[in-house]
Amino acid sequence: MVGLAALILTFVSVQSLVSTLEINLVGSVSSLGGQIDVWSRGASYPLVSKIPESYADAIRSLPGVTLATPVDLALLTVASDEALVAGIVPAAIPRLFSYSIVKGSMIASNQSGILAMGNSLALALGTSAGDEIQLNGQSYQVSGVYSTNTWIDNSVIIPHVVAQQMIGMVNGTSMIIATTQDPRSIDTLIGQIKTLLPATDAFRSSEAPSRVSPLFASLETIAADITAIVTLGAVLGIMNSNLNNLRERMRAFAIFKATGASYGQIIRLVLYESLLLGILGTLLGLGISYVALQFVSIPVLQTTSVRIFLLPSTFIYATLLGISISLVAAIYPALRIARVRPQEVFRFG
Amino acid sequence: MDNNLILRTESLSKTYVNGPEKTVALDDVNLNVRRGELLAIYGPSGSGKTTLLFLLGGLDRPTSGQIFLDSLEISNLDERRLSTLRRNEVGFVFQNYNLVEDLTVLENVKLTMMFEGKSEQEMAQRASDVLRKVGVAHKEKNRPSQLSAGEQQRVATARALANRPRLVLMDEPTGNLDQDNSHGLMNLIEEIMIAEGVTFIVATHNQEIVQATASKVFLKGGRIVNDSSTSSAL
Repeated sequence: MVGLAALILTFVSVQSLVSTLEINLVGSVSSLGGQIDVWSRGASYPLVSKIPESYADAIRSLPGVTLATPVDLALLTVASDEALVAGIVPAAIPRLFSYSIVKGSMIASNQSGILAMGNSLALALGTSAGDEIQLNGQSYQVSGVYSTNTWIDNSVIIPHVVAQQMIGMVNGTSMIIATTQDPRSIDTLIGQIKTLLPATDAFRSSEAPSRVSPLFASLETIAADITAIVTLGAVLGIMNSNLNNLRERMRAFAIFKATGASYGQIIRLVLYESLLLGILGTLLGLGISYVALQFVSIPVLQTTSVRIFLLPSTFIYATLLGISISLVAAIYPALRIARVRPQEVFRFG
Repeated sequence: MDNNLILRTESLSKTYVNGPEKTVALDDVNLNVRRGELLAIYGPSGSGKTTLLFLLGGLDRPTSGQIFLDSLEISNLDERRLSTLRRNEVGFVFQNYNLVEDLTVLENVKLTMMFEGKSEQEMAQRASDVLRKVGVAHKEKNRPSQLSAGEQQRVATARALANRPRLVLMDEPTGNLDQDNSHGLMNLIEEIMIAEGVTFIVATHNQEIVQATASKVFLKGGRIVNDSSTSSAL
């Protein structure tokens, strides 16, 4: 039971760590809004994407496009730590995502030396509107603190032109975000962008998370491998424990058989018992996982530590895994014990 | 088969094989047991008494020969039907009682009925009845380890009777009992025979039981050397 609880703790922890990282990275690309994302071809994350800024004009010229704005993304030093910085054209900010101002005001011009900060980051750095803060070694004033209830609350927003200079991407941008008048024309527009700009990947913004997911493929593989190895260990360990336990109770099963229990009834008895212990072990493991992971946070960036996400699906899979393991690990011992010959046990012990 | 006979064996033999070594435990045993009688099987240690009981109770299979319980030939039954036979037709009281230590007296007595799939109410009612009959109803919540040898013997008897079997097999039932308890047990067997019409076959060393029993079979070296059972005259 304790072994199964340990397995559940390992499974929930590994899966939750991966989920938390994935949700945050996915959140960072999906919190920018828009309907169409344009990245450089083959890029799996906007931080590694670079396209000419002039592509925004080309996209804007396509019929039906209402907005095509460049967005730069970079990991820069904020105060003494690292944070995600988004360079956005100030006029486009309200059209990209909805936000509320917690304090101060959103950046409204291309003026250098001002920035807006997400409330999560401001809280982490102990900064508020009006404060001076070092961004990439230069002094900036926090014009306002915003809240979006998305991952961008962990970021800094500066004017796009300032970001271009700061990250050495003059005439370039990480990505272009576009919107259209008629949502039904999105796919047509995507086709037109791909034809017009073959060095880019254009796709629905809602598909951005799936572009990021390849980054997690190896991480998920590692998590799956760890789960498989731990599961195999648990199955063998629990099976061995079941065999020893049943061997110790061989006489009881011989009595059951001598008093009329059939082969099938003995198997069912062992499986029921194992299922019961499996449910108890699983519940224990889930309880320990839930409590323990409340106290764990992981650093996504230096400035951004996030608490582990405990997804219901992880708990459901853990429950299914625990119950399956307890049943699988009981099958062989059940078959062995069901073949017990009472006359031999009573004669020879 | 004669309607008065509940059990009959024909040329029953059992040989244990251990590598090149062969041990003949029973050799050409022919036995007839009347319905409702008490048959004592006696003989020295190693004479095959326990082996014979195990074969008669469907716990083991003969090497050759046949066993008929009423008209049913049981030596060739498959495992599933043998389980049903052990559950419904035959009660077994083992030499060391073989009560399950982790279960209470009441739960031990319910075992056979549980495997039969009877309702909880029915099991509780019958278990209480048989425990009362054997005189240990007041111990139903105790564990076997909390009982004396005589009480454990009675619980084992209650368990054997729980499913109303036609035949009860007892292996050295007085082996661990003092004289008073032995007398008490034999009286109990007689009461049950009368009240429930059960046939008893008792394997024993106890000369008092042998002398007090009308039907008896003497086993030696796996063979019946003296059959003074009432049915031997058939």
